[in-house]
Amino acid sequence: MLYVVFYFQVHQPYRLRHLNVLDIGKGVDYFDEHLNSQIMRKVTEKCYLPTNKLLLDLIHRYEGQFKVAFSLTGTAIEQMKAYSPEALDSFKELVDTGYVELLGETYYHSLAFLFDTNEFLDQVAMHRDLMKSEFGYYPETFRNTELIYQDSLSDLIYEIEGFHTILTEGVDRILQWRSPLYTYKNYAKTINLLLKYYQLADDIAFRFSDRDWPEYPLTVDKFVNWIDRLTLSEKEGRNLFLNLFMDYETFGEHQWAETGIFDFMQHFPEEILKRPHLGFANPKEAYKLANYQQEALSFPEPVSWADVERDLSAWLSNDMQRNAIETLYNLINLIRQKGDEKLLEIARKLSTSDHFYYMCTKYFQDGDVHKYFSPYDSPDQAYIYYMNALADLEERLQ
Amino acid sequence: MKVLMFTWEFPPLIAGGLGMACYGMVRALLGLGIKVDLVLPTKELVYFPLREPDDVDKLPAVFLDPKKHTEYISHKFLNIEERLDYIGVTVHPETYLQLGEVQKFVKAIKKEYQRESITQEEREIWEELTAHLMGDEDIFKKVQEYTIRAERFARELDFDLIHAHDWLTYPAGMLARSISGKPLVVHIHATEYDRAGGPGNPRVHRIERAGMMFADKVIAVSQYTAQMVMSHYRIDTAKISIVHNAFSVSDEYHRTKKRIFKGPTILFLGRITLQKGPDYFLEMASKVHKVHPEAHFIMAGTGDMARELLYKSAAKKLGNKFLFTGFLNRQQVEDILRASDIFVLPSVSEPFGISPLEAMAFGVTAIISKQSGVAEVVNHAFKIDYWDVDLMAETVNHLIENPDLCRKIGLEGMEEVNKIHWNDSAEKIRQIYSSTLSEYLKSNP
Repeated sequence: MLYVVFYFQVHQPYRLRHLNVLDIGKGVDYFDEHLNSQIMRKVTEKCYLPTNKLLLDLIHRYEGQFKVAFSLTGTAIEQMKAYSPEALDSFKELVDTGYVELLGETYYHSLAFLFDTNEFLDQVAMHRDLMKSEFGYYPETFRNTELIYQDSLSDLIYEIEGFHTILTEGVDRILQWRSPLYTYKNYAKTINLLLKYYQLADDIAFRFSDRDWPEYPLTVDKFVNWIDRLTLSEKEGRNLFLNLFMDYETFGEHQWAETGIFDFMQHFPEEILKRPHLGFANPKEAYKLANYQQEALSFPEPVSWADVERDLSAWLSNDMQRNAIETLYNLINLIRQKGDEKLLEIARKLSTSDHFYYMCTKYFQDGDVHKYFSPYDSPDQAYIYYMNALADLEERLQ
Repeated sequence: MKVLMFTWEFPPLIAGGLGMACYGMVRALLGLGIKVDLVLPTKELVYFPLREPDDVDKLPAVFLDPKKHTEYISHKFLNIEERLDYIGVTVHPETYLQLGEVQKFVKAIKKEYQRESITQEEREIWEELTAHLMGDEDIFKKVQEYTIRAERFARELDFDLIHAHDWLTYPAGMLARSISGKPLVVHIHATEYDRAGGPGNPRVHRIERAGMMFADKVIAVSQYTAQMVMSHYRIDTAKISIVHNAFSVSDEYHRTKKRIFKGPTILFLGRITLQKGPDYFLEMASKVHKVHPEAHFIMAGTGDMARELLYKSAAKKLGNKFLFTGFLNRQQVEDILRASDIFVLPSVSEPFGISPLEAMAFGVTAIISKQSGVAEVVNHAFKIDYWDVDLMAETVNHLIENPDLCRKIGLEGMEEVNKIHWNDSAEKIRQIYSSTLSEYLKSNP
């Protein structure tokens, strides 16, 4: 069997206001409530509500056979509560079907794993509590921010009660000749790994509406045939997992409804389930379905799902990003020592990885995805506003 | 006495220090009873007959074309901004030449981007676009246009003497002198040598030299500038007079401290451009930061080196202690001065430099480049070679470690600059006018 494993990332950051030095010390709110609510409302209408409804229908229609997983960040859920409670309700309705898995991650979608282990563990625990209080759900699968992973992460996650699987990117330089369709073990053989099959996942997430792509338009028929062909190369009746991981906003937001993305998704399960050797599974089920000895994979250096480099360069490749993030974690450390919960909450909102993504200068000139996702005119401005916020936060701490 | 004055900047038409200097100077000259017909790079062919000190704010205008003037007089304006808009005084002095087209275009865009529904980001993108559209790439064309207009002013107005500020208006002054036969005073606020940190644009250099050669009298804003004029332009020293600038700020009540940061705050205020030495400021900051990580450094202003400085400051890992303000309006400048303890002017070459005087008027302790004119007029300030970053850093450290001393020097500096008035500068200029006129009348009976 080959199981299609869907996992969708649901995340919204708290975008910053255009903070000036003269705003410092005046008790100004750092976050642009107007913009944040506007974006949450827009994404709710274009993506969350219609896609949730579509998935709910599919789950009901193929009872038990079609399933998906979500990772919902704390900052997204907070903003849903504040600006579109109906979006949160519709996610709850999905989870209540019993066929939706919720993943664990950092509450603030942060890079804490790379900078502050205690803070990382706290944010993971916060997220776990949130899943419990909002959905009555206990996540068994972990995905770190932007699928960032390296060996040491698996050691930390293994120590946390309840997690047995981690998702990450199927990076070529790690896999080499191996296939991302198998489930693997981490380097210490203590935890299971599922690797994103980025070629096919990105066909949906990035290339679906690209008219310059030779395969345009992507039909369900064509896509399922590609999937079917994958099973030919795998032998001996071993269960395979096609991990299609992507941002949930792919549906209706990055790929507009007009592109036909909803029709695609509507007919996809039917076409998969027509074929007896294809099916769906959730990440937490994979290791039980693995009918073979799982090979151990070592990731000595961090990987991620971002940009062609699939490393940390989207957040940590220039001096602005490094100075900003190091300053933040120094400050978080000071705030934790002081035990000021109110300031810690603000600092944690500033730990969301998007803030550093906006400061990325790698491709900014070419108007690529960084620019698409950035609420600011330039990485320089993103940095200036962010550092003003950190300067104000430090003043408040004193 | 009546003066025909050419200048490129005058509030609200301001790009750098020139506008504020002209404002203070003209106001004081009017107070001495000197009448000034001011010519600015306006869209419409107008001049501003200034008679009373208050006229510098009211800016009464006369159209050379009587029909247009009648129209203008009968026009009802709600406020001064609307009236200046009619005349075509823009806040971007370098833009006057694009005349109608750009004005119309900008207006059309403004209508677009001032809609309610538009986001802040979109608005800023539009504003940046319009700013770029109104660039200064054809500055020489604008100078040509301004110069051609000088002919009519020279023929149709009645005046005793011509006064031109900086190279952009020297050709106009020269033309007016030839046509009217009246003496010309050129005023040097900055030379190309200062702006470029070296020889600079040879066209500008030659225009500057031509203006100084042709003038009856040359006023330099400092001994430092006079020296520059003698060595780089080979101008007859007998022709050169020195008149230091003064400054104008809010009354003392509005100058009391209003901190942003609890820790020491060190300020750079000016265009972020080579001439002003922002890189030396960063170097100093980076040294001080190692000793005093609690100190904040604010780089206030904009300029062609802003991005470079931003990246460099991040690379130096100064955390959240080196901050950028972007462009500040007059009120914001005063707010930032109220929040600062130490002001550093590391200019590579500063003909005068009004901003340290303003800072000192706010009780901020000043460290000023020895390569500046302002160093000649104040004693209660530290004077350091712009390249001596070590000494600059040591001085800042010393002031941080001795806050009482820092405050004391700040207050002494405040007292000192409170005695500097535009009236004294204006009086010197009046004397220069008189002697120029009498010499001129002697040689042209």
